Amino acid sequence: MAGGRELTVITYRGIFQEVEEARGMYSDGYRDQSAVVALDGRDMKEMGVEAGEPVRLATASGDVVVAAKLSEEDHPGVAFMPASPWSAQLLSGDVGEDGFLELKRFAARASPGEGEVTTIGEIEAGIKAP
Amino acid sequence: MGLCTGCSLLCDDIVVELDGDKIGKTMNLCRKGHAHYNSLGSERLTPSVGGSQVGIEDAARAAGELLAGAENPLLFGWEGSTLEAQRAGVDLAKKLGSAIDGPSSYSQGMIAEKILAGEIPTCTFDDVRNFADVSIYWGDDPSSSHPRHMSRFSYFPRGEKRQKGYEEDREAIVIDVRKSPTAQIAADGFFKISPGGDGAFIEALTAALAGKIPKVEDKKRMLNLATKLRKAKFGAIFTGLGLAHSLRGDLSGFTALVGKLNELARFSVIPSLGDYNTRGFNQTLFDETGHVDAVSFKDGVSYGRKFGIARFLDSCDAVMVVGSDPAAVLPAALARKLAKVPMVAVGSHRTITSGLARVSVPTAVAGLEAGGAGLRTDGVKVEFDRLVGSVHLSDADVIRRIMEEV
Repeated sequence: MAGGRELTVITYRGIFQEVEEARGMYSDGYRDQSAVVALDGRDMKEMGVEAGEPVRLATASGDVVVAAKLSEEDHPGVAFMPASPWSAQLLSGDVGEDGFLELKRFAARASPGEGEVTTIGEIEAGIKAP
Repeated sequence: MGLCTGCSLLCDDIVVELDGDKIGKTMNLCRKGHAHYNSLGSERLTPSVGGSQVGIEDAARAAGELLAGAENPLLFGWEGSTLEAQRAGVDLAKKLGSAIDGPSSYSQGMIAEKILAGEIPTCTFDDVRNFADVSIYWGDDPSSSHPRHMSRFSYFPRGEKRQKGYEEDREAIVIDVRKSPTAQIAADGFFKISPGGDGAFIEALTAALAGKIPKVEDKKRMLNLATKLRKAKFGAIFTGLGLAHSLRGDLSGFTALVGKLNELARFSVIPSLGDYNTRGFNQTLFDETGHVDAVSFKDGVSYGRKFGIARFLDSCDAVMVVGSDPAAVLPAALARKLAKVPMVAVGSHRTITSGLARVSVPTAVAGLEAGGAGLRTDGVKVEFDRLVGSVHLSDADVIRRIMEEV
């Protein structure tokens, strides 16, 4: 996880994402609602990222490129991301001693992304890879 | 009158006009429910074996054979299945001597189990609508996840003892890490906490209710909340994933707080469970085993985290996923493990999980194309008929058909 800005990422479910999920996870609409991260304005400025631009999020478990979204609230050091196949790529698969799988909160490195937002096809290919 | 299986509110006031054997005009659906109704025509699962299209009979036979040939199978999912399919699933698990689990094992199962065991008090949504003057949404954003929660039951409506609704008779309190759409409705009732700060908030509120000075930055606001709760006549606490994950299975502080509140007035807990029949699976498995998830029938009945999907994937040699899409939500490392296990996918729509399956068996959409029953997230049983015809079998019929092959 070298480089980038360290953030605590919290996942959530949004109504528009839920709607797009019901319409189908393979649609552009689902990707547009899911492959995003809401960032604090100061974090965006220090990262040199504008709303709508790609951001690479990386953890020890994996990395994805999603679109930056300017949050309406101030929450420096914290980012919010819809729970989706994109956020799942960043989660640790380790089950703690308490037997609980953490799906809501994780630390990630965020940096300006290059290229396009990760597609659902790329995520599927990663899951199926030998 | 139709019903919506788009979420666990199971709204039963949907007006549906049929256009022949198709759904025409509808009324009362929320945005999410509307999308659910419209999903009938898109991304439907088709029967397949090894990537080749087959008939439903061949798919069911292959599914049964795959499970019957396994030493250590797992039957996973069920939150998007009818009570009848869940019952058949438990019977199939017993017949196979398999493990059976659902998303509750990594979401709100621990809260649901304590409610079913009578260790946390609960009530129905109808009680909330008629009597509640305080609704607490804790790590829960029903405006997004259960869009008609506040309008049908918990905040806006008039009720038997709450004739003035939200204008004068009800108070909304939101405890969350972000100003969610529900928090925006609650306005001054929003308490923002730091990520993972639920335990500290519980401690501070418990202290304030006991008349002690809470250890928080804004002591006055916490004391005011305690005063408000002391004056409540009927309180409801709606829990979400945010609370469950923050407490990581340790509910002792939360149950103590609920106990303290119940010394003052009646306070009940209703978990906001995700898919339409999550509560149904919790109840079905609890009635059989005393647990809501992570059960094995290999040697009688065994329970433990090792039978939950996160750990059981290390040892299982076949999995059947029913009405669920774990590959979309589980950490990628676990999704990759799932992809390597011979899998049967049973469901109405194509998902990331079904794309990993060796055998796919499609079902009708419950509540639209097939009848059955489910439990609302407050535990109330709701029965429903099909609205339109389908070429697919119901989920219960599919599970029974697979069981015949085992």
